[in-house]
Amino acid sequence: MKPERQRHAPQGAGRPVGTPPSEFETRLMRINVGPQHPSTHGVLRLVVDLDGERIARLTPQIGYLHTGFEKTMEHRTYQQCITYSNRMDYAHGFGHDLAYVLAAEELVGSRVPERAQRVRVLLTELNRIASHLLFLGTGILDMGALTLFFYTMREREKILQLFEMVSGVRMNYGYFRVGGLAYDLPEGFEEQTRAFLDEFPAMLQQYADLFAKNDIYLGRTKGVGVIPAETAIANGLTGPSLRASGVPLDQRKAAPYSGYEDYDFEVPTSDAGDAHARFEMRLREFEQSTRICRQALERLEPGPIKDPDRRISLPPRQELETSMEAVIFHFKLVTEGFHPPRGEAYVATESARGELGYHLVSDGGSMPYRVKIRVPSLVNLQSLESTCVGGLFADMVVNIASIDPVMGDVDK
Amino acid sequence: MRAGAKVAALTEALAPHGAQRSDLATGAMLVLPRGAVLEAAGLAREHGFDLLLDVFAIDWLAYPGHRGPRFSVTYHAHAVAANERCWLRVHLDEDDTLPSVTGVWPAAAFMEREVYDLFGVVFDGHPDLRKLVTPEDLEGHPLRKDYPLGESPTLFNDGRFLDPASFRSGMMGGSRGLTGWVGGARKGVVSAAPEVAAEAAAEATATAGADGAAATKEGAA
Repeated sequence: MKPERQRHAPQGAGRPVGTPPSEFETRLMRINVGPQHPSTHGVLRLVVDLDGERIARLTPQIGYLHTGFEKTMEHRTYQQCITYSNRMDYAHGFGHDLAYVLAAEELVGSRVPERAQRVRVLLTELNRIASHLLFLGTGILDMGALTLFFYTMREREKILQLFEMVSGVRMNYGYFRVGGLAYDLPEGFEEQTRAFLDEFPAMLQQYADLFAKNDIYLGRTKGVGVIPAETAIANGLTGPSLRASGVPLDQRKAAPYSGYEDYDFEVPTSDAGDAHARFEMRLREFEQSTRICRQALERLEPGPIKDPDRRISLPPRQELETSMEAVIFHFKLVTEGFHPPRGEAYVATESARGELGYHLVSDGGSMPYRVKIRVPSLVNLQSLESTCVGGLFADMVVNIASIDPVMGDVDK
Repeated sequence: MRAGAKVAALTEALAPHGAQRSDLATGAMLVLPRGAVLEAAGLAREHGFDLLLDVFAIDWLAYPGHRGPRFSVTYHAHAVAANERCWLRVHLDEDDTLPSVTGVWPAAAFMEREVYDLFGVVFDGHPDLRKLVTPEDLEGHPLRKDYPLGESPTLFNDGRFLDPASFRSGMMGGSRGLTGWVGGARKGVVSAAPEVAAEAAAEATATAGADGAAATKEGAA
């Protein structure tokens, strides 16, 4: 019987018989989480050293989705690069598209018409809602609540259908162009978007009823993974996660782009800094994004959607039949693209995950000489270790979810 | 973005260290001598640039008319309270190293690893300078301008190498290739070479036969 009992001893199984329990020899246990694990939201691999149930050390191992987008974009013309930009953060593709075209427009000196800017803001904010819906559904799912996932996916589906109307695809949109948009919004888009925005607040209430006062949810998020503001800034955290730590940094307010200065919205912040606050930030951003969408829709007026500069935008089809000049411009743009002057440009934008920007270096050619993408997810992931160390292993899952990394954005 | 008071103050403070303004189209940039990186980072931090947004390298090898050191490493910092940002740039040659700024900005840990991985720039004093995104056995630094692109085989440390031609042939069904795939490239394309297809068909029949036998056995049992 004795060996049997020893084997099932819950603590200090390896200690010599007769040593008192206070002199347990404890060793760290190293376990591997991911890369294929549902709670890692993609292919995040974490090497975790456990001291009992508590995390002693945590090392993210990334790169499983590294595809060398930066290198690829150095070998594509400026317009072709749009194919790649939205493939990084697949949950907030329009955010990446916008960040890229803004930097490229800064380089080439393009002036984007009013309507194109409004449409960009509208789509980016709708995409932010879709991205936060994915965050919320999967985040709560990680805590064991399955139902909400289906509700958030239902609403996300409606937004994706709107995107499909616009761009023809549900992901990887590629609808923005340097200098404007690829083509105008389809008929019926505005009405459908308005209908969605009208019913969305009620849905938000439905979500809140489902989980916001749930004891398990509160118990698993309140006071869990607290990031103080100084630590957050030192680790480079940006976006809603930083705002949950009480730092009201939002590039839409700090350095407005695409006319964000004209929209009336607030930047929600919280001083708690815990996982609950990070969830709450996204919930409150739903409302603000809805507000921005409404305003963008109201101000949407018919007009040009492309920079009229023929050296940047393709001429309209009918002009090709009457104007030799248009044919020449068309030929030049299609075969080699435009040539921005030498220089560098970076435009900071606020994606659903934090500060996002493309640092483009031009050597005067038709392809960028160097593209450096400042992705929020990669840098935000650095906060994970300090957040998790000392905490329970089960809280790690909540912490990953609340920081909201998208692995395509991390590895690029 | 216009340069504000913090940037002006930092420019002044860094002038004795040999820093010079060389602004980007969208912001203020200071070019530093290589020896002054740590001092500059500390001074920037003191001047309120507390949020390090990015560290990245540029390989100037193929830049038309470029003279001077091959690489540059750029630090992109944001002053949260003052809402200003600045770029600090340092030029370095292939064998030069840089001091790590992780002591000043802990956020630099991943960013410097990324630069090390993709450009081969070594940061002295980095607590954990390992590759970040490329596989451990991949040799070379892919974002360098002289890194082979496209059709050249990818060599790995352990002697494996991926030859694009045979890989593609495998993908198109011309040979078993690396994947063993013998079907068409996509729906509606039948591109498998006759002998390979026949081989695969024979194999499939054999497997099906074995499966069938197993099923019968199970049924009997």
